[in-house]
Amino acid sequence: MISARLKKVILKELKLKDFDFQDTTRAFQVPGWDSLSHTLVLLAVEKEYEVHFKTSEILRLRNLGDLQVLVDKKIMNQNTA
Amino acid sequence: MNVSFNSLQYFLFLPVVYLVFYFAKDRVRWLVLLTASLLFYAALNAPYLLVVLLLVVITTYGFGICLGRARTPRAKLFLLWGGIAVNVLILVLLKYLPFLSENLKALSAFLSIHAQIQPVKVLVAIGVSFYVFQAISYLIDIYLETLKPERHLGYFALYMAFFPKLLQGPIERAGNLLPQLKVKYAFNYDNMRFGMLLFVWGLFKKAVIADRLGLFVDAVYNHAQDFTGLPLLWATYAYAFQVYMDFSGYTDMALGSALLFNIRLTQNFNSPYLATSVTDFWRRWHISFSSWILDYIFMPLQAQWRSGRHWGTAAALLVTFFVSGIWHGASWGFVIWGSLHGLYMACSVFYKPYQKKWHKALGLEKTWFLKVWQIFVTFNLLCLAFIFCRASDVRQAVYIISNLLSGAQGSQSGVGWLQGGPDLLVEVAMPLIFLAVASFCISRFKTVFQNNTLCRWFVYFFLVYGIVFLGVCHGEKFIYYQF
Repeated sequence: MISARLKKVILKELKLKDFDFQDTTRAFQVPGWDSLSHTLVLLAVEKEYEVHFKTSEILRLRNLGDLQVLVDKKIMNQNTA
Repeated sequence: MNVSFNSLQYFLFLPVVYLVFYFAKDRVRWLVLLTASLLFYAALNAPYLLVVLLLVVITTYGFGICLGRARTPRAKLFLLWGGIAVNVLILVLLKYLPFLSENLKALSAFLSIHAQIQPVKVLVAIGVSFYVFQAISYLIDIYLETLKPERHLGYFALYMAFFPKLLQGPIERAGNLLPQLKVKYAFNYDNMRFGMLLFVWGLFKKAVIADRLGLFVDAVYNHAQDFTGLPLLWATYAYAFQVYMDFSGYTDMALGSALLFNIRLTQNFNSPYLATSVTDFWRRWHISFSSWILDYIFMPLQAQWRSGRHWGTAAALLVTFFVSGIWHGASWGFVIWGSLHGLYMACSVFYKPYQKKWHKALGLEKTWFLKVWQIFVTFNLLCLAFIFCRASDVRQAVYIISNLLSGAQGSQSGVGWLQGGPDLLVEVAMPLIFLAVASFCISRFKTVFQNNTLCRWFVYFFLVYGIVFLGVCHGEKFIYYQF
């Protein structure tokens, strides 16, 4: 499930009022989320959670559920480090 | 031997392959298609091409299996880059050596260095760019764990060599094509009928529209220095439609051929000249290629350079479309063509946010006028870049651009040329009229079989009549063969 925090970051970056994000939602289904704005969204997420994604991790993302899992994994790694 | 889709040999080859495939047992059907594909490629009368194909198949298969088994990230990365390097090396050796040697020679002459650089013979490399890209995407997908390596060498070879898409694509992803090759075949009347009609439709686009426009384009471009003004402008517009009809005609014939075997290849076009921006154009033109460069060049670069924000994206676009230009052909014309597209899109990264605000402020947002204007501007930007593809060299392209809008100066210029008479009407107007009728038919194409019999037979008659009586039947090569 997409957390309220992740949802807020994405909505802010894409300048959207609201959107019904699901785990299976893909970037192209979200208004304004195209290949050009993709990295801006990811940068905003990295900044919000103070994490860094590897290029290969970004390329493996298929949908928002994958992004949420990646963020959770990064936070967990930070906490255990 | 000429086995191109618009040759008599192919018209015999396809039904024979289908019949053998149909009567063969299930467990050997892949072998029938693989044998047919290899024979098809061998018939190009360049025996080394078959060796190159087999080399790409075997090395990519091997690297794929090893990648799947590798445990450490370091080993995986090593195998990925190893596989990519082998494929790129094959492509460079076959396609780019003459271009490299020629430019090295020019550079050494410019720097007054006396180097002995032998000229390299240009080799036929039909299809290599397409299946090498397919091989690279296969390896990257395994590396990213979005695909499992194929263990059956036969199916893998067929995925690489399947004849309808071997010479000019579509560039198929393994995840789309491999599973289809393994499905048990059952005769499907609708697929058969639709496949055959799609094939004839593609032939119509090629023989009636593209090749007829080509007569006019060649007449102007082959003697460009004799022209100024309107002829150059019309020939450039005509070339844009020639390339589109030629390549989309080929794609329809490929899709139609594959459909006979119940295989659905990727659709490559979606009304590209209705694009409202160059970015939009690349979502509609040669889709299997544009999605390839987006996924495997642009996205990794953009992700890598994301800290540069807009600058990183712009740089990724420039590099991606520079590679796209090189991929299309080993000449400076194609390099400039690709780089221009990169430049168009790199600029749009910066002005797009302001553009939206201006449209909103002027009340133009979502108006039909804005859409028509954007289509017009985009089409002209595309045509400007196309000049570098069609011109014989960069010097000629510069001449054409600088004389596109000039008045009556040359031996064959604007007004005088327009009075050229019936020949001009046949060469330019008729294909465009056919294009308009054809476009109408395209919009009705999907529902044609649900219409009444009369309508269906009208379409059949229209296509066959067009091909037989109006087609240019010199077995003209497809433009994208050179890529």
